[in-house]
Amino acid sequence: MDTFFNIQLLAAFLFFIGLLTVFLRRNIIIVLMGIELMLNAVNLSLVAFSRQHSLLSGQLGVFFVITIAAAESGVGLSILINFYRSFGSARTNSAQELKG
Amino acid sequence: MVNIVNIDTSFLSNSLCVVAALLAVVMLTARSAITSALSFLGVLLATGGIYGLLSEHFVATIQLVVYAGAIMVLFVFSIMLLNIDTQKNDIQLKSKTFILGTISALLSFGVVGFALKKYFKTNQTIAGQYTDEKIQALGGNTKALALELFSSHHVLFEVVSLALIISLVAAVVLAKRKFD
Repeated sequence: MDTFFNIQLLAAFLFFIGLLTVFLRRNIIIVLMGIELMLNAVNLSLVAFSRQHSLLSGQLGVFFVITIAAAESGVGLSILINFYRSFGSARTNSAQELKG
Repeated sequence: MVNIVNIDTSFLSNSLCVVAALLAVVMLTARSAITSALSFLGVLLATGGIYGLLSEHFVATIQLVVYAGAIMVLFVFSIMLLNIDTQKNDIQLKSKTFILGTISALLSFGVVGFALKKYFKTNQTIAGQYTDEKIQALGGNTKALALELFSSHHVLFEVVSLALIISLVAAVVLAKRKFD
């Protein structure tokens, strides 16, 4: 049981590190990486819980989450390319045109 | 946990946990984008190792191929393509966002850790359907997963394929179009 507890603690830690990355960093690529880190942490938690309870539904959920994460990162990076083209930088502060 | 070779799997798993946590902190605090990307790759590899130690072989393979392979190639490629010069650290230590964000993240982590500790102390594990013996009888982890996926979740599988096609078209349209 101790191993499962450590894995769950690691999953929570990784999730909050990803959240902090989204909060604190100004570079859009690193912000996207933070989102992926949060998805990865949730996957870890799902797999460990369903392994602990001898189920398979967690692994199936992880299968779909990974597929959607791949699609999401593809679309996100093409949005990033467009952002860089129109603003000339990859910082979040340069997207301030709608600021009142 | 199935211990096939004579290795202490819980020790290995715990050390992979420590490695992943340290690399995640490096990813948060690194100055350049490529350092962040490579330490994120390390986190993904360590997570794949943990999946393998839990004897979830299919998920471990998918983690290595899709996450550590395809997604990381996309990230590294776009860092190379945009040639982002960020040699200064962009975390502003005195901003309101930094203080409030760190405090709230630490508090939430404490709450989650406390809840997990309580859960694991009072937990009476209810064994589900797929014990190690049943998975062995079905012919391994991958086969058991495939039987479950293509019998009771086949509609979800088709919906995900539709989502993949939509995102493919969206990525092509977004990358080709020029916004003024």
